[in-house]
Amino acid sequence: MPREIITIQAGQCGNSIGSQFWQQLCQEHGISQDGNLEDFATEGGDRKDVFYYQSDDTRYIPRAILIDLEPRVIQSIQTGPYRNIYNPENFFVGKSGVGAGNNWGDGYQTGELVHEEIMEMIDREADGSDSLEGFMVLHSIAGGTGSGLGSFLLERLNDRFPKKIIQTYSVFPDTTNSGDVVVHPYNSMLTMRRLTQNADSVVVLDNGALSHIAADRLHMQEPSFQQTNQLVSTVMSASTTTLRYPGYMHNDLVSILASLIPTPRCHFLMTAYTPFTGDQVEQAKTVRKTTVLDVMRRLLQPKNRMVSTVPGKKSCYISILNVIQGEVDPTDVHKSLLRIRERRLATFIPWGPASIQVALTKRSPYIPMAHRVSGLMLANHTSIATLFKRILRQYDGMRNRNAFLEPYKKTAPFADSLNEFDEAREVVTDLIAEYEAAEDANYLNPDAGEQPTSAEGDKRMG
Amino acid sequence: MSSGTRPSSFAEKRNRDSGVPPAAASASSRPRMPTTDGGSFTSKADHQHQHSSRYATTTESHKRSTSGNPRSTSRSVEERRTDKIQVTTREALISRARSPDRRGATAERSSRATDVGGLKQRTADPRTRDVRQEAPPQQEKPAPPPWEPEATLQPHTTAPLASRISIPPLASSAPQPLQPKSLSELSLEAQEAVIIEDLMFVFMGYEGQYIRFAKGYNPFEERDRLSGPTWRILPGLDPSLQDLTLSMLRMATHYTALETFVDVQSREEFGSVNHALCASIRKLLQEYLVMVAQLETQFLTDDAFTMHILNVHILPTSHMMYQLYTLAHEFLKRNALLDDETDESSDSADDFDHILEQLREGGELVPGNMTGKKICKGGVVLGLITKRLESMSGDPAARALLTTLLRDASKPYMAMLNEWLHHGAINDPHSEFLIKEQRSIRRERLEQDYTDEYWERRYTIRDHDVPPQLEGVKDKVLLAGKYLNVVRECGGVDVSLQVKRVPASFDDNRFLDNVNNAYAHANESLMQLLLTTHQLPARLTSLKHYFFLDPSDYFSYFLELGASELRKPVKAVNTGKLQSLLDLVLRQPGSIVSLDPFKEDVKVEMNEITLIKSLQRVVNITGIEQGEALQPLSSNQPIENDKNANGFTSLQLDYSVPFPVSLVISRKTVWRYQALFRYLLSLRYLESQLSTTWQTHTSGFVWSHRSSTRNLEIWKRRVWTLRARMLVFVQQLLFFCTAEVIEPNWQSLMTRVREQEKRDIAAAAPQGQNGDGNDPNCTPSTPRTTRTVDELMQDHVDFLDTCLKECMLTNSKLLRIHSKLMQTCTIFATYTNWLSRELEKADPDLSGANKPPNMTDEQWKHFQSVRSQKPTSNPAVNDASYIDGDSTAGGKPAVSGGPDSARIAELFDVIKKWESNFSRHLQILLDALNHYAATETVVLLSLCARLSTANQGTEYAGLRSDEEGVVV
Repeated sequence: MPREIITIQAGQCGNSIGSQFWQQLCQEHGISQDGNLEDFATEGGDRKDVFYYQSDDTRYIPRAILIDLEPRVIQSIQTGPYRNIYNPENFFVGKSGVGAGNNWGDGYQTGELVHEEIMEMIDREADGSDSLEGFMVLHSIAGGTGSGLGSFLLERLNDRFPKKIIQTYSVFPDTTNSGDVVVHPYNSMLTMRRLTQNADSVVVLDNGALSHIAADRLHMQEPSFQQTNQLVSTVMSASTTTLRYPGYMHNDLVSILASLIPTPRCHFLMTAYTPFTGDQVEQAKTVRKTTVLDVMRRLLQPKNRMVSTVPGKKSCYISILNVIQGEVDPTDVHKSLLRIRERRLATFIPWGPASIQVALTKRSPYIPMAHRVSGLMLANHTSIATLFKRILRQYDGMRNRNAFLEPYKKTAPFADSLNEFDEAREVVTDLIAEYEAAEDANYLNPDAGEQPTSAEGDKRMG
Repeated sequence: MSSGTRPSSFAEKRNRDSGVPPAAASASSRPRMPTTDGGSFTSKADHQHQHSSRYATTTESHKRSTSGNPRSTSRSVEERRTDKIQVTTREALISRARSPDRRGATAERSSRATDVGGLKQRTADPRTRDVRQEAPPQQEKPAPPPWEPEATLQPHTTAPLASRISIPPLASSAPQPLQPKSLSELSLEAQEAVIIEDLMFVFMGYEGQYIRFAKGYNPFEERDRLSGPTWRILPGLDPSLQDLTLSMLRMATHYTALETFVDVQSREEFGSVNHALCASIRKLLQEYLVMVAQLETQFLTDDAFTMHILNVHILPTSHMMYQLYTLAHEFLKRNALLDDETDESSDSADDFDHILEQLREGGELVPGNMTGKKICKGGVVLGLITKRLESMSGDPAARALLTTLLRDASKPYMAMLNEWLHHGAINDPHSEFLIKEQRSIRRERLEQDYTDEYWERRYTIRDHDVPPQLEGVKDKVLLAGKYLNVVRECGGVDVSLQVKRVPASFDDNRFLDNVNNAYAHANESLMQLLLTTHQLPARLTSLKHYFFLDPSDYFSYFLELGASELRKPVKAVNTGKLQSLLDLVLRQPGSIVSLDPFKEDVKVEMNEITLIKSLQRVVNITGIEQGEALQPLSSNQPIENDKNANGFTSLQLDYSVPFPVSLVISRKTVWRYQALFRYLLSLRYLESQLSTTWQTHTSGFVWSHRSSTRNLEIWKRRVWTLRARMLVFVQQLLFFCTAEVIEPNWQSLMTRVREQEKRDIAAAAPQGQNGDGNDPNCTPSTPRTTRTVDELMQDHVDFLDTCLKECMLTNSKLLRIHSKLMQTCTIFATYTNWLSRELEKADPDLSGANKPPNMTDEQWKHFQSVRSQKPTSNPAVNDASYIDGDSTAGGKPAVSGGPDSARIAELFDVIKKWESNFSRHLQILLDALNHYAATETVVLLSLCARLSTANQGTEYAGLRSDEEGVVV
């Protein structure tokens, strides 16, 4: 069937999220750990073939490619409960097995070396689908493999499949504390450039915000990676429900993204999800009456966002898509939208359409949900620029001191010069400027106001 | 008619006419005379002799009084058998004369003489009689000398049992010698005797010696006879007798009137209910004659029999006759037989089936049968009796009488009703039943039947012919039989309820139960057939898949696969190819529709009329009610095809369903489905066009390249924003139509259908138990189904109409604005490539031959390679020609070559024009929506709120944002 999506998970973080994601999807579609359909799940009503294909023995195989330069996470997947669902040919583990050492350059140059093998996998998957819609790339931008190899892949995918949509789920580092990767501003900056230039849409997942949510919502002081990954996989599965449980609308990626991203460069989306339930955590199971209005209002609250931003006075939404799951009366949706408007809960760009879209979808019948209604917000908000600014600030702080640059200079992209860094910085500053310009009422007619962006010196590649 | 059958029927008729034979015989051969008579009588023996001689010499045709005599009858039959020809002639000539009586013998003798003479003459010369017979007896004016009154047989009428004996001549026209003595010459006793005797005749409808028809009465006039003769008593009667006589004469009037009434009303065209009524009345008349005969016997045998005794005896009968008469009179009035006013408003127009049938049978097109007076029959007859019964309910005798009549008359009707209720059949040659069947409407016509003719017109209620007893349940009666018919026609399963004891007439109290039970049974059968056997809910769900694109995934794929075909002009589209593509898509495993069991029934077709046009034509038909307004127009009208119509705009699906389901999913509803489908398709196609534009804008190099020309960047932003606005507009509209209109309405429809299903299942269990052996009529506790198939059908149509209305498809103004907007968006989307090329030309970075400084070597190389491929790979030529042909619609000036700044300025002009075009129209649409939301369709308010967001940030948005509290 049409509109298949190939998932590429790169690096430690990407693969951890990915394995959670597939576990979640299997549960939602009633696919057992060996890939067979559970007995209770034969009724249908869902579309599994967006993310799975059926092998000759009718098992469901994820359209997933798992790439990592160090074997640890992949091995844990290969020994984990869902090891049998993956196509064994779709695992790629770096030959040396040492990883990219949190070095973007290392990941990128390894990409050059192994790209034939990886592209062959991708080609094989692409050929196996009738009408490929696009790719979903799962990675983190702070490490080495996910960011470096991921960046490389983004460029190649864009070249190889210019008409296909590339959506990434990118885990941004926690900018509030340094974390375990000291050089993450470098890696982030370099990856950000590819995300800006080579991806059609980036779903930003901020590790800092994730642990906040885990702490506040799920009452876990020290959330494990597995727990934050679970949050991510919930968001991912929710954002793909309209594809997997098709209804009247939003049945392909384009229709979801097209309205969310009016101007091509501003394609960094933030997400919010409510209500969260931690399966493992008893305290999280608060008794609550969920209504559409309640859900939609919560979605607009910054504390539920999976990105920690510092919204300014002028920050506003460019667009919103709410994916509401569960039994919903459409009139409630309308009422909620009106209420949000009356209460001025959401501020929109002054120059364009104020588009709050709502997609109503079914929920998986196989997973009992404690709540009647749950919702996911995909939003394009200008305040995301503040996140980029923070990364930029941290980058500048390190770059100005020329700290930790030695490992990078050893790798191919930086062999000649450090221009790569400067170009990346330029792209990111342009991006920030673009977002800031979008907050201005004179966005479409900037001559009436002040000079918004520097038009010079930008190199953009289609 | 053969002569062989005639004698017996004739004899029978005569018997009937003249009363019961023994009575008549005794009356005529009454031997004893009242002693009070003077010497004006002949002796008893003489009298006797006269009689015997008369028997010997005259034939049975001679006298009324002898006609009933068994002896003479048998003789005459014998005689006839010997000579058939003679019999024919004879029986045609029945003369009538006075019976012997207490009057002077001279007159008697002379009359006898003439009689005998005449007879002899006639037997001698049958030919002359033949000639005479041909002349209608009514016109026969007995020539004064000699007086030869004759009775003849009239030709058969359509009333098989009506009297065929001609009407006797008037007594007043009898020659003078036959006239009786004046009353004043008689004594009081004699007066009483002759009057009583006369009364006996008069009671049977004949003139007496002294009691004659009044002057104004003409017995040859049917109308006169129907209203009954008025009588006059020859002058000279003692006043003491006069009043009593007059009062008794009324009964005689009634009798004659009733007799004629029975003759007239039992004609074929009056229908079986009238026939039954006539039979019942005739039975009563028979009893009446018996009574007259008994009275005569009493009169002849009992000396003490006086006028007063007579009066006392006839009182109850008189009352009965009066009741019958008034009833008959009402019928006659209704039939307009009494007055000449012809009411031409009969529904002969839609009775063409009847006419056709008559023609087919080779029947004569008697004008009176169709255009003639309305005949009251069937239900009306029953209605009249019932009404009468109600108004007479205080009178026990009348009540009993009318009850009997009603029971008898309703029997054939009830037979029909039961046949209809329990077997769905109509056997109604006289079209008196309350259900009318149009046999010419076949169910095969459902295939192209846009008007639901089969269901709505095959069986209809004759509204004027409904008996009052059925008035309350007439719809149930109609539906019960209709449902049975459907069930029978589609499965051959015999679902007729086996009812042991059916009520035979209206006075049976169970008859309402009978109707209700039959109805419940039929309704259940059909509902079960539709819902269970034919899986109506699954059908509806399947329709939703195909026409409302519920899971639209398959359809996007279909559009993608068929895009090359659908892009062609509508005439060039290969429907067969599209069909195979659709089949392919529907059979793809993994999609939801592939599980749909009815996917074979979906067909692709091309409709050359654009949706907006066809809807507008439908909407513009004024004077038709909303519900009917959506009939598609006949396609034979000249249709100017849209030149721009291509596969995408003309694509529509068709869905064929087998018979019983096609009652619910009729052409009428499929048309509505198609309209909705085409509307959704147009929205969806536009959405996908704009999505493609989005993809071009996002990933196309010319767009994503940040130009060194600042103005161009700003121009790009405006293009992007306009695209975003349009996309928001289309998606919000699509969301509204699907999630806020179709889905909720659909859910409520399905809830109702499912409720019914549940109830049916619950009802099926007890029904099955008492179905065997038990009389269902006795178990009115069977669960009453409150919803009917008709309601279900209505729900379905209502659902579609609501959807159409709430999707703005029934309002021509909204349609117009809306189509304008869609057009604007479509033009924008189709010009994407053109814009890209213009942008490339205008951007100095890209149009130049040298690498601009703001581009890396790699990018430039890549761009150059793409550019070199372009002329071959890009269908630029096609697009250009399309644009040229369509430049009027776009309202876009051709951008000529020139300096870059001029180019850019022109690009700004173009986008500005589009921007204002879109925003202005959107604003008009919003205003119109606001208006209609306030006046007609409230749901549009929500659409209004949604769409207004698309216009935010434009100059138009400010107009509304304050009043609505929209936050920008």
